Amino acid sequence: MVPVNGVTPEAPPLSLALQVKDLRVSYGPKRAVDGVSLDINEGEIFGLLGPNGAGKTSTLSAIEGLLQPTSGTILIHQVDVRAHPALAKALIGVQLQSTSFQAELTISEIVKLYAGLYGVALTKPAIFDRLTEIHLGAEASRRFSQLSGGQQKRLALLIATVHDPPLVLLDEPTSGLDPQARRQLWDRIAGIRKSGRSILLTTHSMEEAQSVCDRVAIMDNGKILTVDTPAGLIEKHKTDPSVLAVARGQVTLEDVFIGLTGSELRE
Amino acid sequence: MSEPSAVTAAPVSPPVRVPALSEIFRALLEADFTVQLRNNRALLLSFALPLVVLFALFKSKFYAGLGDRDFRVAAALTLGMASIAILGYSMTVARDREKGVFQRLRVTPAPTWTIMTSRLLVQVVAILAMALLVLVAANLFESVSLTAGAYLLTSVCVIFSSALFLGVGQALAGLVKSADTLNAVGRIAYLPLFALGLFAHSTIFGTTFELISRWSPGGTVETLLTGAMNPSNWNSDTWLALAASAAYSVVFAGIGIRWFQWGAR
Repeated sequence: MVPVNGVTPEAPPLSLALQVKDLRVSYGPKRAVDGVSLDINEGEIFGLLGPNGAGKTSTLSAIEGLLQPTSGTILIHQVDVRAHPALAKALIGVQLQSTSFQAELTISEIVKLYAGLYGVALTKPAIFDRLTEIHLGAEASRRFSQLSGGQQKRLALLIATVHDPPLVLLDEPTSGLDPQARRQLWDRIAGIRKSGRSILLTTHSMEEAQSVCDRVAIMDNGKILTVDTPAGLIEKHKTDPSVLAVARGQVTLEDVFIGLTGSELRE
Repeated sequence: MSEPSAVTAAPVSPPVRVPALSEIFRALLEADFTVQLRNNRALLLSFALPLVVLFALFKSKFYAGLGDRDFRVAAALTLGMASIAILGYSMTVARDREKGVFQRLRVTPAPTWTIMTSRLLVQVVAILAMALLVLVAANLFESVSLTAGAYLLTSVCVIFSSALFLGVGQALAGLVKSADTLNAVGRIAYLPLFALGLFAHSTIFGTTFELISRWSPGGTVETLLTGAMNPSNWNSDTWLALAASAAYSVVFAGIGIRWFQWGAR
């Protein structure tokens, strides 16, 4: 159990990394998240799939503390995000959809800054070692804007995990990457999970969801439509008329996704 | 809603802790000072511009009509503060907001007030360094000498006055979302905030204009600093300027806090 104010309260043994109950988020009159509930087990990679505007990023933003939910409960390792925001933030590592850092800092200075913000004191050699692990040792004195898209994503993932958080939130971590960089990042995500950490990621890629995620939720219009393993989702929905209507041959996860969320374009 | 699934890795107990405020401030201040020192635009605005204006105010006979020697030094100091706060600080805040730098910082355990306080502290130090440079240059090249007490009092008043201009910078960053628009608005804001104050001790445009100028943000700061540079001349006008500067600071900071948004959307 995580100590709160120096006291370790009595609590059931940890089994869930994240519990979200009946979460609602609104932007003025528009409800972006409408009663979302989900549980993520320790050591699990959980994918949130949905078309643009489905509410994935808003759900993540509420968990990250960037958005104030209208209602609902978010517990990270039993810590209530609203009651103990600083502790909750210390328990998570975050990679935002579009990450940017201070333009004047080198990437080793950026790593040092974010490590410091989590109370992790890293020496120069330690920072260099971590950068070398992600093949950025030679770029240590370059600015973030001077890195390629794949390098930027790798750095963002390193910074998200610089304090070894038990839960990592990744918002479209591989968007805009070429297949090689995407595969590399999947390996790194799998590596994070191997160390026992839990991951919640959003993605538009069915291939990513199938390759990386233990379980997947499909979300649309602020609601979670279905949750299961990728194979379980196909099995569960392969006879749905809406899924069969869009399937071209054997039903795939993408058919299930489009069948449940519709074929119309989203902006 | 969700069904249990096989956990494929050994779970770990969270080893994390909430970092101490001192750790957070150390990390933020180190980064913010580095950013300030590497920002060529900020350095130019901080040090070169007030020195150029100082020498210009002393070299041309026209500017002698604006006020005594202490006032002209105070005008250069005020310009330096306005430049750092309005064109430097607010622009950096708007740019970082557009890029999402603040959102990235906000998902860390650092309280939001520490993120902005660190940035403001760096600006106050930059303003103080600029003030000392201008005072030393005024002493060396224009023979405007201050007593040790006057140096101290002027430094205190510079720190105090920096709150006014940083409040203006914060208000602008709060009211104007786009960095490009803010760049344009900041330049326009110069007129009422700094240039108007140049005539605070001069009746060349008439007494009404002088009165308006004297109680403009720039005018109150210039009157305050002129008094601080020569403490024996500190009078009721200086006290009123001090009070007016404080009132301006509260108003601008209030606007900046009320309307500031961390994200660009």
